[in-house]
Amino acid sequence: MTFLLGFYVLIWPAITLVVLVVICRAVMRDRRKAKEEQRELV
Amino acid sequence: MNSESLYQFSIPTVLLLLFAFYGGTYLMTLGIRKKNEDADAFMVSNHRVGFGMGAASMTATWIWAASFYAAATSGYTYGVSGPIHYGLWGALMILFIYPFGRRFRKLAPNAHTLGELIHARHGSSSQLILALSNVLGSVISLMVNFTAAGALVSVLSPLSFQAGVIIAGFGVLLYTLWSGFRASVMTDFAQLVALMAIAIVIIPAVFFAMGGPSELVAGLGNLTAEQTNLFSMDAILYQGAPFFVAVLAYAIGNQTISQRLFAVNESHIKPTFITATIGYGAIVIGLGMIGLMALTLGVEPMGGDMNNLIPQMVSTYLSPLFIALFFILVIGSLSSTADSDLSALSAILMADVYGKNLARGKADPKRMLLVGRLTMIIATAVGIVFASFSLDILVMLVFVGALWGAIVFPVIASCFWNRVTNQAFTTSVLVAMVLFCLARFELLPMSGGSDLFFEVLASIGGGVIIGLMVFGFLGRIAGFIAAALALVAMLVFATDFLRDYTVLLASLTAYGASTLVCVVMSLMSRQPDFDFATIGEQVGDYETQRPEPVTPGGQTAAANLATQR
Repeated sequence: MTFLLGFYVLIWPAITLVVLVVICRAVMRDRRKAKEEQRELV
Repeated sequence: MNSESLYQFSIPTVLLLLFAFYGGTYLMTLGIRKKNEDADAFMVSNHRVGFGMGAASMTATWIWAASFYAAATSGYTYGVSGPIHYGLWGALMILFIYPFGRRFRKLAPNAHTLGELIHARHGSSSQLILALSNVLGSVISLMVNFTAAGALVSVLSPLSFQAGVIIAGFGVLLYTLWSGFRASVMTDFAQLVALMAIAIVIIPAVFFAMGGPSELVAGLGNLTAEQTNLFSMDAILYQGAPFFVAVLAYAIGNQTISQRLFAVNESHIKPTFITATIGYGAIVIGLGMIGLMALTLGVEPMGGDMNNLIPQMVSTYLSPLFIALFFILVIGSLSSTADSDLSALSAILMADVYGKNLARGKADPKRMLLVGRLTMIIATAVGIVFASFSLDILVMLVFVGALWGAIVFPVIASCFWNRVTNQAFTTSVLVAMVLFCLARFELLPMSGGSDLFFEVLASIGGGVIIGLMVFGFLGRIAGFIAAALALVAMLVFATDFLRDYTVLLASLTAYGASTLVCVVMSLMSRQPDFDFATIGEQVGDYETQRPEPVTPGGQTAAANLATQR
């Protein structure tokens, strides 16, 4: 029970971390692509 | 266990935090600022926003201050399952809209608002109903976010509530005014990174500071049987179900979502919205866990105000540095939503009101920009003034969601079914709104047959919601089968039961009534079937307006549409 409840609370910040990494990497890629195509990011 | 008072920042510290946040955000927008902004870019950027920026913007926009407070309240009220019944359904609002979003984009690749699409499909009355619901939602959202800023500033510092509202209002307006949606998207990314990083640190920090998993298990004794149950019926019926009902309504009725659907690179819509779904769910459910922690510890919210739960927990267990991070977390979340609301409102006034109705296809891009910026200034002033009313956030969320419920079926059906008419759209929404109000405010006694009448309408509404959700992902046949099964299940289980859950009954009634009226009127109509190809021809960019295209029959698209109407 202790492990399960601990996991239940902490899994959400862990998923948030994964999404944060995915988004940051994607933004870097967006930025590079925009530069290559000589257009603005937004 | 109760804390006597919350940690208090000094006035210079809180002003420094606010000015650092808004000053930094403003400086960031200087990098993308143009002397002569493009009216289309002001509303939807270049229609080619990438996956990363799009996902960040969608997530940041959908997370508002109420998300944290309401998720924690849900955790505190319903226990173990509470945060999920707030965060999961909120996240699914983003997920379930993308299949329909792809259709909207296919029909009108260069649209700025969903209203423009509906204008091309039906004309002004339907478009203005949608625009009105969008405006209402965004103004309420602005008000709620400014209220949250005032409340936060007043509980964590000696500054007044009004000072917090005014600083947040002017801060958001300052960085959004010139570049509009482009500034909103650009700053959303930075705000989301800060927001996520802080959430990642704060949730475990509070958890371990309060004693960790063993303390949480020990505190389960303080909970009722319902609160310890992961499948609590109370949580499902009072928290989850009204939110589930609102899943499609929030997404359809919210211009901040439509704006991003039309701004993101078309091929990236799916990954963008799936990532935003996961990101939103994880952050909001995670912060909702702080409400559960408070419940297990027996913490009483200060002054009986549930909105004090998270600040109270952070203030009790963490150092002032974390409290400052929490402060930025809330300011970042409310500002990212508020700037999106300002951009949404400006786009509606620019495109739906000025572009399509006042200028009637001869819009001057410079004048459009002026309309957009004036809208932002007026909306900020209105939001600041209204913020002083301090309404209950959860009740408002459900109410506006139900209001939007009335337009869900007519909007979606109009984009897939060529027989829906303008009259069917308009009448169905108006009838649904009247019936919703009768049920929601109990203007009719729920007895003597009226209870059964509303339950049958609500059952149809339940079938429509399930049917549309399945239809979005699996197509027409699966959608019809799911709708029929859900309708039968609702008729069996909801009859003589739903009348006791007024909010749910009224929300479902809105869906059911609008669908019924819209379908019957469309089937009875003798108008010719609509040609969807004409939508793309009528909705385009304003800066590069083309001569009106001519259809194979030799008529212009507008003339063709008029004939069909």
